[in-house]
Amino acid sequence: MTVQAAGALLLGAAGAAVLLGGHAVGGAFSGEIGPAVGVDPLSGAFLVVIGVVGAPACLFARGYLVPDRAGRAVGALTGPFLLALASVVVARDATTFLGGWELMTAIPAAAVLIARRQPAVRRTVFEYLAITHLGGVGVWLALLLAAEQGSLGGTSGPGGATRAALLALALVGFGTKAGLVPFHAWLPRTHPVAPAHLSALMSGVMTTVAVYGLVRTLRDWAGPPSEAAGLVLLALGAVSALGGALWAAVQRDLKRLLAFSTIENIGIVAAALGAWLVLAAHGENGWAAIALGAALLHAIVHAVAKGLLFLGAGALERAVGDLALDRLGGLLRRLPWSGGAMLAGLIALAGVPPLAGFVSEWLVLRSVLEVPLSGPLGPALAGALVLAALAAAAALGAYAAVAVAGLVLLGPPRRPECAEASEAAAPMRSALLALAGIVLALGAAPGVPVDVLADLAPGGLEGAGVAGLVVPGTGRLPALALAGALVAVALVARLLRGTPAPPAPVWVCGQARSPRLGWTAAGFTKPLRLTLDALLRPAREVEVIAAGGLVQEVRHRAEVPHPVEAYVYRPVARAALAAAEVARRIQSGSLRAYVAWLIGLVLALLVAVRLWGGA
Amino acid sequence: MSGAQAAAAAVQVAGGVALAPLVPGLVQSAKARLQGRRGASPLQPYRELRRLWRRTPVQPEGAGPVYRAAPAVVVAALAVCVAVVPVAGQAPPWGLGSDALALLGLLALARVALAVAAWDSGSGFALMGSARDLTFAVSGEALLALAVLVAALPAGTTDLAALGAAAAGAGVWGEPAHWCGALALGLVVLLETGRQPIDNPDTHLELTMVHEGPLLEYAGRDLALLQWAAAARHWVSLALAADLAVPHPVEAWPRLAVLAAAIPALCLVLAVVETWQAKLRLLVVPRLLWAGAGIALLGLVSWYAGSGA
Repeated sequence: MTVQAAGALLLGAAGAAVLLGGHAVGGAFSGEIGPAVGVDPLSGAFLVVIGVVGAPACLFARGYLVPDRAGRAVGALTGPFLLALASVVVARDATTFLGGWELMTAIPAAAVLIARRQPAVRRTVFEYLAITHLGGVGVWLALLLAAEQGSLGGTSGPGGATRAALLALALVGFGTKAGLVPFHAWLPRTHPVAPAHLSALMSGVMTTVAVYGLVRTLRDWAGPPSEAAGLVLLALGAVSALGGALWAAVQRDLKRLLAFSTIENIGIVAAALGAWLVLAAHGENGWAAIALGAALLHAIVHAVAKGLLFLGAGALERAVGDLALDRLGGLLRRLPWSGGAMLAGLIALAGVPPLAGFVSEWLVLRSVLEVPLSGPLGPALAGALVLAALAAAAALGAYAAVAVAGLVLLGPPRRPECAEASEAAAPMRSALLALAGIVLALGAAPGVPVDVLADLAPGGLEGAGVAGLVVPGTGRLPALALAGALVAVALVARLLRGTPAPPAPVWVCGQARSPRLGWTAAGFTKPLRLTLDALLRPAREVEVIAAGGLVQEVRHRAEVPHPVEAYVYRPVARAALAAAEVARRIQSGSLRAYVAWLIGLVLALLVAVRLWGGA
Repeated sequence: MSGAQAAAAAVQVAGGVALAPLVPGLVQSAKARLQGRRGASPLQPYRELRRLWRRTPVQPEGAGPVYRAAPAVVVAALAVCVAVVPVAGQAPPWGLGSDALALLGLLALARVALAVAAWDSGSGFALMGSARDLTFAVSGEALLALAVLVAALPAGTTDLAALGAAAAGAGVWGEPAHWCGALALGLVVLLETGRQPIDNPDTHLELTMVHEGPLLEYAGRDLALLQWAAAARHWVSLALAADLAVPHPVEAWPRLAVLAAAIPALCLVLAVVETWQAKLRLLVVPRLLWAGAGIALLGLVSWYAGSGA
C-alpha cells in the first residue's frame, strides 16, 4: 500500500507539473485506433485530484484493511483502480479512453464483491453495473461519434444533428457516472457498501473523472459552446443539487448521507459548467472562464472533502462498528484527531467560511449570477431559478453537515461502544489529517488554483486577475484576509470570555436528563420534512396497540421514499422485464430456428444497405 | 483617503460595534409606545450587556470545546459582516472586500456555529430552535441570493458599494424591478433580525422560539457576546436596507446624513410591523420567504421585459 500511495503521489505531482507548466506532454488527441497517451493542462488538473485523494486513501487502507485474504485482494485492487482512473484522464484516443472507463467501472465492483459477501451487497453491485453500463452506452457512442466525425483529432467539429446527438449522449453517459439526477440511483446504494478507501475514491475521484469527461467533450469535441446544452446542464445541476441535498438531510446512515451529498455537489459543479457554456455562447469570455474555474475548483474541493469524510467514516467504522446516525455520538472526545479532521471536512461541506467549501460555492454562485445579469429574458430567468436552487441547496448542505457533526461527533455517546472507542491507527489518522490540511489550505489561498483553472477555458482568462479572488464585477473575496479576520476576532472574543463557573445540568424543564430525551436524526430534520412535505412526501405509520382501554405500546415507523426510484426506475425495470419475457419466446432452443433468424437478419441488413446506403 | 471615506469608515465601525445595541433597543421602545406601554428606554440593551458582562459564564454538563467556542465564532462572523457592509457607498479600506454574496456565507457561519453548539450541549430547546433556524435558512438563502441579483441588475456587479451607488437618486425608483428588490430585501431584514411575523424576540416559549432557542443555555459573558451579535445582525441588515432600499442622494456626505435618519426610521418600521402583524405559524414562514423569492423573480422579469436591457 505504501508503494501505491507513493505512486499516486507521483501521478499527482506529474499532473501538477503539466498544469502549472501549461504545455501538453505526450501525444495529442487522435481519432485513429491505436493506443495514445498524453497529458495537457486539463488532464493535469484531474491527475492532481487523483494523486491528492488517492495517496491518502492508499495510506489509509494500510491501517484500515484487515490482512486476511479478502483484505489483501482489495488492497491489491486499489492500485489498478487508481491507474484505471488515471488512464481515462491521460487517454488520447477512443479505445484507451473506453478501456480505462470500463476498468474504472469494473474494478470497484470486483473489490466490493470480494470484501462483502452478503446477498444484498451482490444485488447492489448488480444494480451498479446495470445502471452504469446502460449509461456507459452514452459514453461509448459519444466517443465513437466524436472519433468518426474527426473532432477527437481536432480536424473538424461536428455540426447540426450530429452535434446535438453527441452532446446528449455525453450528458447521459458522463452524467450517469457522475451521479446527476435522474441517473443517480446507483450511487447512494453502491458508495456505502464499498470498503471505506474505495468509497472515498469512488465518491471523491471517480465522479470527478466523469466531470473530466464532460468538460473534455464540451470544451474540445463538441464544437463551439452551445447555449442549449448549457441550459440543460444548468437545469440538471440545479435539480441534482437540490435533490441530493434534500435527500442527504433526511438520511439515517452516515455513508448513505455522504453519498447523497456527493450528488448535491456534482450538481453544483454541473450548474457551474452550464453557466460556463451559456456565458461563452453569449460571448462573455471572461466570466465563462471564471465559471469553468469555479466548476473545477468546486469539483476539487468536493473530491478532497468527500474523500476525507468517507475515510473518516471508515475510521469510525473500525472504532465502533455500525454507522447508523442515531447510534453514534460523542466521538470527537474519543477520537480527537480523526474527529477534528472530519469536523474540518464537514465545515467545508457546509460551505461556511473560512474553509474551501465556502470559497468554491461563492465563486459558483457568483458565476451563475452572471447568467441573469447578462442574458436576455429566457436564459436570465433560468439562471435566476438555478441561482435560487443553488443557494437553497447550500443551506440544505449546511443542515446535513450540522446533523452529521452533531449526531456523530458531539453530544453524549449513544451506545457503549462509542463511549469506549479509541483513536484510529497512525496511517489512518495521518491520511485524514493530510486531507484536512488541504481543505484548510484551499480555503485560505483559493486564488492560486482558480487562476490556473480559469486559464483552461478556451481563450483563457485575459487580463482579469483572479488571484486572491479579486474578480472584477464583485466586491472581491480576499479569502486569506477574511479567514485571518475571523480567526483573530474569534480568538479575542474567546479570551475575553474569562474563566467559567463549574458546569450546571442542561435545562430539561426540571426533569432528570436521560438518554431517552436525546435528539435523533429524524427529530432534527423534522421541520424540514414538515415544510417540504410536498417535495419529500414522507411516509409515516403510527400503530397504537391498546388493550382494555389502556395503551400498551405505540409503534412508529417513518421513512422518506425515493421518488426517482419509484417513478422513473421501477417502470423502466418493469418494462425491461416485460420485454425480456417477450424476447424469451423467440428462444425456442432449436438450432435451426436460430440459424433462420441469423439469415433473416443478414438479408435484412443487406437490403437496408442496398436501399439506403448507396452513397 | 478622502474625508468622506474616513467618516464613512468611522461610522461603519462605530455604528456596527457601539451603536448596534441601540437598534433593537429603539425597536423595542417604539413597539412599547405603539402598544400603549411605557416600555424600557432604548438604552436597555446596553444595561443588559453590562449586567451580563459582570457575570461568569456557566456551561452545561457534558458540553465540549465546540460549545465554548461558538459565541466567539458567532461574534467573529458578525464582526466581519460589519466590516464588509459599507456605509454611504464608500468601499471600506481594510481589505476584506465588500461582496454581497460573501454575506451569505458569513451569516451561515453564525447559524451553523450555534447549531453545532446546540448538539454539543444536547439541549432540546437549543436543538429545536436551531433546526427551525436552519429550515428557514433554506428558503432564506434563496431569497437573499435573488434579492442580491435584483439589486445587481442595474449595477452589473455584486460589490455592495457599487450596488448602493446604483440605487442612488430618484431615477431608479421608476423601475418596477427596484420596488420588487426592496420588498424582497425587507423580508430578508425581517428574517435576519428575527422579528415578527417570522420570529418573536420577546418570547421564550418553546413552542414558538427560533433564534432565542440556541441562546437558552448560555449565560454571563457568553450570552453578552451572543446578544451583541444579535444586535450587530440588526445593524448590518438595516444598514444594507438603508443603502439599497431607501432613497438617497449620490454624494457621500448627504448619504451619511440620510443613513443617520434612515436607521431610526427603519427601526420604527420594524416596530410598526411587529405591532401590526402577529407571528406566523412556523411552517408557514418558508412559504412567506418563497413568496418573497417569487417577487424578486417578478422584478427580474420586469427588468428585461421593460427596459429590454
